[in-house]
Amino acid sequence: MKSYHAQRRLSLVFRYCLLALLAILWIIPIVWIILASFSYNDTGFVSTFWPKQFTLQNYIGIFTSDQFPFLYWIRNTLLVSLVTMVLSTFVTICVAYTLSRLRFAFRKKFLQIALVLGMFPGFMSMIALYYILKNFNMLNLGGLTLVYVGGAGLGFYIAKGFFDTIPVAIDEAAVMDGATKWQVFIHIGLPMSRPIIVYTALTAFIGPWIDFIFSGIILSSSGNAKTYTIAYGLYNMLHSTKGASTTYFTEFIAGCVVIAIPITILFIIMQKFYVSGITAGADKG
Amino acid sequence: MKTWKKVMLGSVTLLASMALVACGKSSSSTDTSSSKEVTGTVKLWVDTTQVPYYKTIVKNFNKEYPKVKVAVTQSPNGSANAKTDVGKDPAKAADVFEVPNDQLGSMADQGYINPLSPASTKTVKANNVSVAAKAVEWNNKLYAYPFAEQAQTLYYNKSKLSAEDVKTWDGITAKGVIATDFTNAYNYYPVFLSAGTNLYGTDGETLKGTNVANAKGVAAMTWLAQQKANKNVMQTSNALNQLKSGAAAATLDGPWNSANIKKILGKNFAVAPYPTVNINGKQVQLKAFLGIEAFAVNSHTSTKNQKAAATLAEYITNKKSQLIVYKNSGQIPVDKDAQASDTITSDPVAKAVMTMSKSSDHSIIMPKMAQMATFWNLSAPLINGAYTGSIKSSQYMDKLQTFQDAISKEN
Amino acid sequence: MFKKHNKVQPPATYREVWSKGDVSFKLSFLLMGFVQLRHKQWAKGIALLGIQIAFWVWFIFSGASALSMLSNLGEIKSKKVVFDQTQGVYLTKLPDNSVLILLFGVLAVILLLAMLGLYIAHLRSMRTLYVQLRDGEHVPTNHENLHALIDERLHSTLLAVPIVLIVAFTILPTVYMISMAFTNYDGKHPIGFSWTGFKAFGNVLTGDLAGTFFPVLGWTLVWAVCATATTFFFGVLLAMLIESKGITHKGFWRTIFVIVYAVPQFVSLLMMAQFLDLQGPLNNILMSIHLISSPINFIGASASPLVARITVIVVNMWIGIPVSMLISTAIIQNLPQDQIEAARIDGANAWQVFRSITFPQILFVMAPSLIQQFIGNINNFNVIYLLTAGYPMNNNYNGAGDTDLLVTWLYNLVFGQTQRYNASAVLGILIFILSAVFSLIAYRRTNAFKEG
Repeated sequence: MKSYHAQRRLSLVFRYCLLALLAILWIIPIVWIILASFSYNDTGFVSTFWPKQFTLQNYIGIFTSDQFPFLYWIRNTLLVSLVTMVLSTFVTICVAYTLSRLRFAFRKKFLQIALVLGMFPGFMSMIALYYILKNFNMLNLGGLTLVYVGGAGLGFYIAKGFFDTIPVAIDEAAVMDGATKWQVFIHIGLPMSRPIIVYTALTAFIGPWIDFIFSGIILSSSGNAKTYTIAYGLYNMLHSTKGASTTYFTEFIAGCVVIAIPITILFIIMQKFYVSGITAGADKG
Repeated sequence: MKTWKKVMLGSVTLLASMALVACGKSSSSTDTSSSKEVTGTVKLWVDTTQVPYYKTIVKNFNKEYPKVKVAVTQSPNGSANAKTDVGKDPAKAADVFEVPNDQLGSMADQGYINPLSPASTKTVKANNVSVAAKAVEWNNKLYAYPFAEQAQTLYYNKSKLSAEDVKTWDGITAKGVIATDFTNAYNYYPVFLSAGTNLYGTDGETLKGTNVANAKGVAAMTWLAQQKANKNVMQTSNALNQLKSGAAAATLDGPWNSANIKKILGKNFAVAPYPTVNINGKQVQLKAFLGIEAFAVNSHTSTKNQKAAATLAEYITNKKSQLIVYKNSGQIPVDKDAQASDTITSDPVAKAVMTMSKSSDHSIIMPKMAQMATFWNLSAPLINGAYTGSIKSSQYMDKLQTFQDAISKEN
Repeated sequence: MFKKHNKVQPPATYREVWSKGDVSFKLSFLLMGFVQLRHKQWAKGIALLGIQIAFWVWFIFSGASALSMLSNLGEIKSKKVVFDQTQGVYLTKLPDNSVLILLFGVLAVILLLAMLGLYIAHLRSMRTLYVQLRDGEHVPTNHENLHALIDERLHSTLLAVPIVLIVAFTILPTVYMISMAFTNYDGKHPIGFSWTGFKAFGNVLTGDLAGTFFPVLGWTLVWAVCATATTFFFGVLLAMLIESKGITHKGFWRTIFVIVYAVPQFVSLLMMAQFLDLQGPLNNILMSIHLISSPINFIGASASPLVARITVIVVNMWIGIPVSMLISTAIIQNLPQDQIEAARIDGANAWQVFRSITFPQILFVMAPSLIQQFIGNINNFNVIYLLTAGYPMNNNYNGAGDTDLLVTWLYNLVFGQTQRYNASAVLGILIFILSAVFSLIAYRRTNAFKEG
């Protein structure tokens, strides 16, 4: 009996050690990024783990820089992501609810077409999107928002999986009582889908903070740094001029850390919705 | 705060220097009588970090041409990517934009830019050094207004290497480490030129003029392969960091990084033209690519703004403007008088760059062929392959032949 | 897939509607809406009539010319430089802009098809109306029509906006991209280009890009399999480790791993590239604790291809394992315990339980999302572009490196030195075919598709 306990104990110690080791391995590069953002550096390259010289200058620099209007970028991105969040969530939930709860002639066709469209690599659409927006004089934050919202119609899988798990009996009972389908949607469907709405909204909100490609294509032709979003602005900081990657490297890291913090917090909040969405969708399979 | 201060300081010195220049000589080439008549609206693209001082230059321009409205904006991905940025949507691109000379050939062929008028051609040729005019010439027409020259030079740490050491590659590597990047064709393709081969002929415009698949080309490949074995040649993507830490004593870099290197090396900062290298038992000068930075006029600019755009491009590349650009960013002017001025001749970096660019045994002008796109794609893996040894010496000839055929294709 | 339904014979043929219907029916064959207006379905009638008028106005003023220009993508193909004496400057007479001609041509085709669809739907509803009138059934009033939009036709209401967005932002660009593959739109013909049939396909499959295409395709598949398998497998193991008996503060442990996933990739991967550099912190750490004597070139331009490929898969594990750990956790928590208990009583050890019960169950639940991850990995732009930029260099390839995937190569062809738009469109189509084939096989096997 004693040896059994000892063995259990040993196994637990071993598992704790393994877990701790893995956790350290995972977190080391992140710690390094944060350390690097506080390091003094004029070579555009951080070669050591522990900075040789600490400074707050990078953070001061990024917030007061004249050429790189960081605060404008944050404001723009916040604006775009809030509008995107509201509109995208609306679109996604509408599509997901319709495809999951309503039955109509083109439902199967729609699902198949959506599946096919999702398989084309998105890059090639950029050239076309650029000219479409240009034609409507929308090569600005508004146009960028529209592009993000435009993609929402096909991103319904997880939300649909969630709706699929709600028993149909509830809807039927309401219809028996004389409710229209619209009333069912508003008074039963939406309240029950709060977790998936939160999940969809947060995903849509995070999108604009991390996309540097579409924002680059659409916003760059304005030639005015004050109209950029954060991801493209930061990316542009390093790639705009020969030698810029040396001069602005640590300020770039500081800027990255500043925006990574809120996104990380949001993501940690979101993780449980993420999991329930994915597994609910997968259960059906 | 640091950048801020620099900008402030820069603009103060700039104002002072402007006053001096303005007193010395007032607008030499442009006749003031017609200048009032030039009207239009022009959008100008410069690199993000250049915006502040180009605003000053444009202010000067507006004193002479008050009826031209100029918007100074930053280009999407910097002048190094002018071809792709303009190509994405020429109609939305700036009317006047900054471009390195090697992209001019394909941009002219594609119809993105307009040639210079005969009058401007004369002015550009008269005022600037001859390589600058030649670098922007394509099919007997000039396609851009040159304002700066770029050639890489050797930067080194004075405390570790003497002026005598840096004359030869072997001298450098005997006493110290040179940190450099063999994955960059801009750095090391010129080794083939030093070995005696041509890239697109002697004029850089002959499609079938590349002759690298021969013994000379093989000798260059062999030299590259030898560097891998040399302990004092360090392959790195971050030479500046190695200079700072003291792990390296020298590097090859361009004038755009000179301010950064000065900061890193402090009083040990020194600069020199490229050393000589020993290829196939012969001591030959290591060459560099000479790049000319220029401003070109967009062909999509509406007819009524063309004159204004051309006038602006000419003005912002005149002597006065070139000197302002030099003051703020260390770009070496190409104007003859500017090059002879005291500020330039007393600057060791400028002197080294000028030595590199002046003679054809030190540098060749980057060719403007449209095939340069293929050239850049294929030459870097070739050089890197020779350096790392992934191309065996028995394969040199085959690989060189494939390379030569690929870059000599009509498209 | 296609459900067979016994079609009820239509109670009226169109011929009958045409010959026996009143004037408004006859008129409605030409111009939609009259019959609805005649029978007081105001909203429907006005909407149909309005859409139709708008369509014809557009068609006459721009649609027709957009369609006709589609045939040759513009007359003038080459530029001409002329000297303008009055201004004293050179001007360039530019070719017709084929990019815009193609885009608006595609748009015109889509609008035309949409109109045709509407017309057919209109014919059907007209016939229904005819039958209702003929048989003296109840004819829906205007109010009833509108009410249907929030009840039995709620799907049309809810899908209207999304479908417009999908057409404008997905279908139009996709069709445009596909048609680009059949032109000579490249660096040599950047403004005025023409139709060239399958020539661009030939360049990619047998021409100067074939020597790059097939090896890159091979690596793309290897990468997608390895990236999906490693993150899944180790994600499950990590989840089981955290969920195992005796471990406390499970939420805390999970959060540590999730942080890595939460940091935006353009930050974490760009920095990771420096972390792994030849002279970067990792090599410095390893050398200072004497694990290695000389630095390892993990992902540099002159690294060894094998080392670089292993490194990107490992870095992808760093980013990908946290997600699959999260998902597996949720599944493990919901696994039925009775089977496991029964196996334990029968004397199975932990490994046997895992291999024959837990793992198959997780695999079963996660199969659909694994397929999606696989497709996602074929198109995983960020990890390659930000981490290695396609390096190490390969002197046998044209414009690609050893870790380049088809999708990053595609990006290089568009935004890199050579501007081969048509070749990149071909790649896009081939990537689509690849993804479609794989997911079709996989979905068929998992039956997920039938569930819809």
